[in-house]
Amino acid sequence: MAEFLQLILSGLAAGSIYALAAVGFTLLWQASQTINFAQGEFVMLPAFFVLVGMTVLGLPLWTSIAFALVLSLIVLGLMFKKLVVEPMLPHGTLPLVIATIALGVLLKESVKEFYGATAQPFPAIFPQTVYNVAGASISLQDIGNLTVSMLAIVGLQLFLGRTRTGRCMQATAQNPNVAEILGVNVKRMVLYTFLINAALATVASVLISPIYLAKFSNGETLGLVAFIAAIVGGFNQIRGALVGGLLIGVIDNLSAVYISAQYRSAMPLILLIIIILVRPQGLLGTSEGRSV
Amino acid sequence: MLELKNVAGGYGRITILNGTSFEIPKASITTVIGPNGAGKSTVFKAVFGLLNIHSGQILLEGEDVTGRKPAEMIARGVTYVPQGRNVVPQLSVFHNLELGGITSKDQATVRRRIDEVMEQFPMLRERRNQKAIELSGGQQKQMEVARALLLDPKLMLIDEPSIGLSPNLVQEVFQTLIRLRDQGVTILMVEQNAKAALAISDFGLVLELGQTRMHDKADELLADPRVGQLFLGGHIDDAA
Repeated sequence: MAEFLQLILSGLAAGSIYALAAVGFTLLWQASQTINFAQGEFVMLPAFFVLVGMTVLGLPLWTSIAFALVLSLIVLGLMFKKLVVEPMLPHGTLPLVIATIALGVLLKESVKEFYGATAQPFPAIFPQTVYNVAGASISLQDIGNLTVSMLAIVGLQLFLGRTRTGRCMQATAQNPNVAEILGVNVKRMVLYTFLINAALATVASVLISPIYLAKFSNGETLGLVAFIAAIVGGFNQIRGALVGGLLIGVIDNLSAVYISAQYRSAMPLILLIIIILVRPQGLLGTSEGRSV
Repeated sequence: MLELKNVAGGYGRITILNGTSFEIPKASITTVIGPNGAGKSTVFKAVFGLLNIHSGQILLEGEDVTGRKPAEMIARGVTYVPQGRNVVPQLSVFHNLELGGITSKDQATVRRRIDEVMEQFPMLRERRNQKAIELSGGQQKQMEVARALLLDPKLMLIDEPSIGLSPNLVQEVFQTLIRLRDQGVTILMVEQNAKAALAISDFGLVLELGQTRMHDKADELLADPRVGQLFLGGHIDDAA
């Protein structure tokens, strides 16, 4: 029982980080029909920005994180929108998808080329303390990761629901034509979405890299997991992406111990197949009727 | 109040308006009628800054507003209720109404106006916390009209308000338009249900192939056999 609880908690902690990436994924889809197959690389990259800040510029950890956030907002937010999405979107969703796949490869190979192919140790944000609670080992890092991720997602939900700017972003995502005739600055709202995605990716990167180490290929798994989490949850819902992320984190952990460590990475895919067969609109999703 | 001078324009390279000209006076209701593809809705888009205008001029109270963006037109007191459903489905009725005043710097006034329009449409007050998608088609249309009134518009462009509404609700929407006109709002309307619309209008405008073919008092148009002919699939010139 103690082991089970321990697995659940560390599953939720990992899952909440997947959820950050998955939430960004659904936001981009809603606001600008962008299916970002470079999302995994978006989570991989900020960790290297942090490392550059620390090793090349000699900045302290938190200053480096701030530096990485700013760089991410510029590169993964602004430049991604201006240089990739805006030129490609008029040609349709599929060319844009292919462009994001290419972008993912470019980011991955660039990091490998310019920083290195080996996994880099990444400083921990939280102390590596482990508490023993009723026989279960509870790591402070897991608690910290879960807390920060949940705060980020709840904060985002509050922003979207409780502020006028947030509601303008919702209007832009749900009905851009109406947003435009009401005078909402649609372009700016879409830009905010890209910036929020970049910020979420940075948070995910800083939380996950102490566990997985910073490596150029980290995006492969992360991108897949974020994609699956978004689909499992319902693709057009933030809450869905959150549930999907947490679910995959927990299933991943439980299956590694109770089923087979070898089949561990197949579990999210099996989950994806089951969901698509049984509930194609996702756990919390509503079937999407797009008007022509 | 609103004047179009030889306006030509369309989507991309396709031209829909071919030199449309007309003028409508303040505090009046004008209905635009014409066959499908005549460019009725396109006139609205041209006025509201949603169309590429190739040539010609649009004047609002004597001022050139050709090619102004929607946000600027809203600031000048123009509001547009397009055809079909135009709600933000997952936001509440209250927040949909709020979006009608999103461009205003004075949000205290917007709050007060939301209260006032909910006074006019009590159904909206009852459902203020419901999501827009949970309203019926008629209720959504009422919400759109209410939302368009939030900033006290001077000119209201309303496209096919009767589509999907029961006859009772159509009369309700028309009564609202009459009341607004009496309060000094200028209304330009496109309506499939031409007879009913002309019956409450001051003026009527017949558009064909993107050009103004007739423009007269509404009752004159109602009595004109050529108008009937037009709706039986003929052209204006075929009659007479």
